Amino acid sequence: MTLLSEKPVVMRPTPATEPVLALRDVRIGNPNTGAEIVHGISLELRPGKVVGIVGESGSGKTLSCRAALGILPSNLAITSGSIEIAGTDIATLSTREWTALRGSTISAVFQDPASYLNPSIQVGPQVAEVLRVKKGLKRREARHRAIELLQAVHLRHPELVYSQYPHELSGGMLQRILIAAACAADPQILIADEATTALDVTVQAEILDLLADLRDSAGLALVVVSHDLAVVAQLCDEVLVMREGEVVEHGPTSQVLYRPEHEYTRLLIDEHEQYGLQKFVRREKAS
Amino acid sequence: MAVDSAVTVARLRHGAVRTLVTVAKSVAIVVPVFLLATFVTFALRSLSGLSPAHIQLGEEATPEAVARVESQWGLDQPFLQQYWDWFTGLLHGDLGTSWVNGAEVSTLIGLGLGVSVSIAFLAMGIGIVAGFVLGTVAALRRTTWIDRAITGFVTIVSVMPAFVVGIVLVTIFAVGLGWFPSAGYVPLAEGFSPWLTHILLPAIALSFDVVADVARQLRSGLIAAYRENYVSGALVRGLGGRRIFFVHVLRNAMGPALATLGLKFPALVGASVVTEWIFGLQGFGRFANDSAQAGDVPAVQGVLVVSILMVVGFNLVVNLVLARVTPASQRGV
Amino acid sequence: MLSLPSGRIAVGLLILIALLAALGPVLAPQDPLATSDNTLAGVSGAHWLGTDYLGRDTFSRLLAGSRISVLASLEVALVALGVGAVPGILSVYLGRVFEWGTLRLADTLVALPFLLFAVAVTALLGNGLTQAMLVTGVLVSPLFYRVSRAATLTVARSQYVEAAIISGASVGWVVRRHVWAKVLPPIAIALAQTIGVGFIIVSSLTFLGIGVQPPAPTWGGLLASDLGYLDYQPWAPLAPALLIMVTVWASNLLADAIRDVSGEAGRAFVDNRRDARTASNDPSTPLPLGGAR
Repeated sequence: MTLLSEKPVVMRPTPATEPVLALRDVRIGNPNTGAEIVHGISLELRPGKVVGIVGESGSGKTLSCRAALGILPSNLAITSGSIEIAGTDIATLSTREWTALRGSTISAVFQDPASYLNPSIQVGPQVAEVLRVKKGLKRREARHRAIELLQAVHLRHPELVYSQYPHELSGGMLQRILIAAACAADPQILIADEATTALDVTVQAEILDLLADLRDSAGLALVVVSHDLAVVAQLCDEVLVMREGEVVEHGPTSQVLYRPEHEYTRLLIDEHEQYGLQKFVRREKAS
Repeated sequence: MAVDSAVTVARLRHGAVRTLVTVAKSVAIVVPVFLLATFVTFALRSLSGLSPAHIQLGEEATPEAVARVESQWGLDQPFLQQYWDWFTGLLHGDLGTSWVNGAEVSTLIGLGLGVSVSIAFLAMGIGIVAGFVLGTVAALRRTTWIDRAITGFVTIVSVMPAFVVGIVLVTIFAVGLGWFPSAGYVPLAEGFSPWLTHILLPAIALSFDVVADVARQLRSGLIAAYRENYVSGALVRGLGGRRIFFVHVLRNAMGPALATLGLKFPALVGASVVTEWIFGLQGFGRFANDSAQAGDVPAVQGVLVVSILMVVGFNLVVNLVLARVTPASQRGV
Repeated sequence: MLSLPSGRIAVGLLILIALLAALGPVLAPQDPLATSDNTLAGVSGAHWLGTDYLGRDTFSRLLAGSRISVLASLEVALVALGVGAVPGILSVYLGRVFEWGTLRLADTLVALPFLLFAVAVTALLGNGLTQAMLVTGVLVSPLFYRVSRAATLTVARSQYVEAAIISGASVGWVVRRHVWAKVLPPIAIALAQTIGVGFIIVSSLTFLGIGVQPPAPTWGGLLASDLGYLDYQPWAPLAPALLIMVTVWASNLLADAIRDVSGEAGRAFVDNRRDARTASNDPSTPLPLGGAR
């Protein structure tokens, strides 16, 4: 099912072998105090691929994402290394260039979807707003297209949902809406930071399926961040395991899950086996 | 496109219904408030023990003369009967007759109302605009000296009661520099400039309190709103700073500032009593003061009723705006 | 509270003013009511702030006037506290009808322009400052009502109170033990603020000549008489005006200091309608040992 356009999917100028997002030995810390929180993370993300980052809270996974989005807290900065989005080094970007880049090239959804929407504005117009600002659509067209997007993320009665306020909708619906808004301007990269953590297990599975659809239909490149190995196992081609700011393991999913090299990864997997990671692992084996 | 129009109709109805519900809710709250307030106002007369007889006849009136005058005024009727007569009169716009000069209270009030309302609205306007600008600048330049300067200024302004400001303004600008007249009022019909010069100083005096509170509330509202996740959400979707401010942050930050306005208005009406005295304006507040000093109970009652209406009406408008702009704030009540 | 510089300044100022009020008439170098022929004199050794239009020593009048003004503002604040706080706390526990009734009552009181009402009531019920302050106190009480109600609500719905009630504690015990601690800081803040407000109202009323019989001196009254003689003594209003402003400032400062010090409880001081959403920017998650939700 196509999501992002009724027209045939247009592949971007970036050749399939060039990464759309590249972090090269990125270190993040407080430039004033010299404290370092992330001690060198590297990853390369290509169109249609999914990279997962696993770790506990405080492991630095969210900070790395925020760095890639340019929204680090004001006291932190990238102290070493570089990040490239679609070939452009972000260190050279001005505020205006960042605004242009976000939404149309790189986008994100986070945990607790309700809080990421303006509680005083109906949800539909917030999606339409992205279309008007980033794609220059007129009001009527934007509304129409926004409803299409809501439909594409499997919301029933999209026209009715359009006029609802965030507090009138469930977490699962809100996350879908946020995904719609994030993809409205056809970005190449979507970062999903704990996107399913606050949702019910069944809804969680649906959202993950949705993300997989996006990857397949539009060639979207995904970064899936989670503390939950099962989430990562379901969707990702490649996994990074982070602990206290360090990447302790990095490799293809099957390798990291079956033949974990680092003790910490083994610990994570052992804990998850109690919760049924087995069936994911077995499914991987079978396919 | 039948679906489109059907949905549009549903949307319109949804929005209209919501507004209607808000209006209905506000009215439902207002009615008991109004009833109670007017009842208390009316009961004041009995509590005060004042009587038109003393005004008309002086202190040495005989009891028979007093009784005669009182029955002329209908004051020998049972309390509830009087209340009912008065209240039904109210609903027809009849506020009773002055004990002092026998004129219709509503006419007397009407004479001064124009003055007071012009000043009140100008004061509100100045307060809102100045407070808005100061609050916004302070919030956006949060860690710099600008913020500290504005906060300091606002603190000083907030401890200056209206009449102190009025006196200072009169001393400096009217008596001292002679830029403005120190007293009197010129109706708008006689020219914009004279009208403005006469009401500007009192309006400024009244606005200080509003400026201070609006600036403070807006500043803290903006700072808090910017910390919310939906700002990050909008940012990450690629929306620019200006848009985020005007479309997203402002409407959520405005709530407390707007609510404050509703509280400030009664204070403004009250303070006008003093400013009108200082600036020699024959306005509503002045009339209230004079009537109270003279013991003219119907006039005072009329004044109170009118001011209650003004305040209630103003609050209704503020609530409607709040409901429309920040539906989120309504759920906090 | 005394740990903050603002707190120290505020307390210091207020103590000074309280002393002034208590001892003012005693400290006055001259009889505040004594008229003389030395009218509208300037600053001099004998008269530190000159004299007024009746030859009375301004400085002495200021000192004497402090007592009335300060006491009256305190009266306003205390009346407002008594009338507002108790119903506020009880409104959470005494059922729907009581709650609705008191809420509407609070709304009513807020709708009345208090200065106007104070003027009206004072004049009608007899020209006493006490009546005026009583009325003003009642009119300002909704603040205490709302504040104590909001604080009580946050406590009442908290889990440790639910636990206490489930274990059989009575409402009275719960109120005394838990609610009071949470409610006290916001009430303290409201009190400090109300003293400032009360002061402004007292000044305004005495300015208009309501509530005090001349020639009793009050700061507002002093301002009023100064107004008539601006041509001769343009600087005269400065002293009472400054005193009024400083007192109000000190009480506001005190309110802020209390708020800063009481932290969480102070933030329960919500004097406006606002949906207080607490957003969590922190994507902290349970440890991986928690597994699926």
